[in-house]
Amino acid sequence: MPKIAIDPITRIEGHLRIEAQVEGGKVKDAWASGTMFRGIELILKNRDPRDCWAFAQRI
Amino acid sequence: MGKANEGTIYDSLRKRGVSRRDFMKFCSLMAATLALPSGAGRIAEALEKAKKPSLVWLEFQDCAGNTESFLRASDPTVVQIVLDILSVDYHETIMAPAGKQAEKSLDDVVKNQKGKYLVVVEGSIPLKDGGVYCTVGGKAAIDTVKEVCGGALATIAIGACAWDGGIPAANPNPTGAVGVKDAVKGITLINLPGCPANVVNLTATVVHYLTFGSLPLTDSMGRPLFAYGTRIHDGCERRAHYDAGRFVRQWGDYGHQNGWCLYEMGCKGPETYKNCPAVRWNQGTSWPVEAGHGCIGCAAPRFWDTMSPFYRRLPKVPGFGVETTADDVGIGVAAATAAAVAAHGIIRAVKHKTEEEREEK
Repeated sequence: MPKIAIDPITRIEGHLRIEAQVEGGKVKDAWASGTMFRGIELILKNRDPRDCWAFAQRI
Repeated sequence: MGKANEGTIYDSLRKRGVSRRDFMKFCSLMAATLALPSGAGRIAEALEKAKKPSLVWLEFQDCAGNTESFLRASDPTVVQIVLDILSVDYHETIMAPAGKQAEKSLDDVVKNQKGKYLVVVEGSIPLKDGGVYCTVGGKAAIDTVKEVCGGALATIAIGACAWDGGIPAANPNPTGAVGVKDAVKGITLINLPGCPANVVNLTATVVHYLTFGSLPLTDSMGRPLFAYGTRIHDGCERRAHYDAGRFVRQWGDYGHQNGWCLYEMGCKGPETYKNCPAVRWNQGTSWPVEAGHGCIGCAAPRFWDTMSPFYRRLPKVPGFGVETTADDVGIGVAAATAAAVAAHGIIRAVKHKTEEEREEK
């Protein structure tokens, strides 16, 4: 039962990894992971609320 | 077209149907951006002979905003020329291969063209917890950046994040994000900060390299002077209103409707060095200040922390004069002007008081 991983997934914005469990030529189970974290929520804490659009826009 | 031009940038443009006239217009735009009077001829001559350099575009902790900026030039001719000058061999957002094939595209360039290829880095590099906060192909960003930039002819850090960590490095910097200059030492590096950087400046940097065989002159922060040598405030079309004391005081007020100065609404133009008023955006259509919003200082160091709150008026404005660069405006100058501005405030306050007193009488 081979497990395949496709990383990086291209033609998207951001970083994505897909792992798939293949059985008899069919995908039995699959997992997606975002492989990048910045913590924008943590960075937004205690800021001037009027600035939030600029920060959140960069997600 | 002679055989001598075969395989050159110019040859490839001609094959795609770019006219000589459009090519020369592009060369003029580059000469103007690089502040090279009568440089268009020399640039054209160089592009007629130059072969496309191999380029890989690495994305780490990014929002792909610089990629968008790069791909969103509205004039199809310019897009064609840009994509032709920059032979992008690896770029996760636009490339066809994925997974192992994508990794191979990168490996091929790094191995077969050692010391000959250019790298554009977009996004910051997280160092905390062994670099787990950004991995591509199971490899930490820090390892990739060391390997790929280490073997490159030159690295271009595009955008605020690749320069000094940008938004991921904003307080409290949860992932220990840094820019390329702090992630890998001893490489040839040029920085194009901005959030996002302007595609015109990226292209002009590469064109400068193709024309003169060297990267453009930079300031002490590694930013090319042609793009980051003048202050937004000094090139701003609203500057006359600043000098005349005509300020927008509320969104939508009379001054705002009539294009007055946005300084009191928090514009960071007086402390930010970039050529936005000249090169503008979307093929010269407009730029934030023309659209009616203050500059947020996105090309300034650590701007998410140093320039925010974005709507708070700058506490002090460095002096007048259009000849200063970021390196010239020292703390002394800023302090002296702050004192002058404060004195101006006192005089106004005193004047105000006497007027009040007069009214009382």
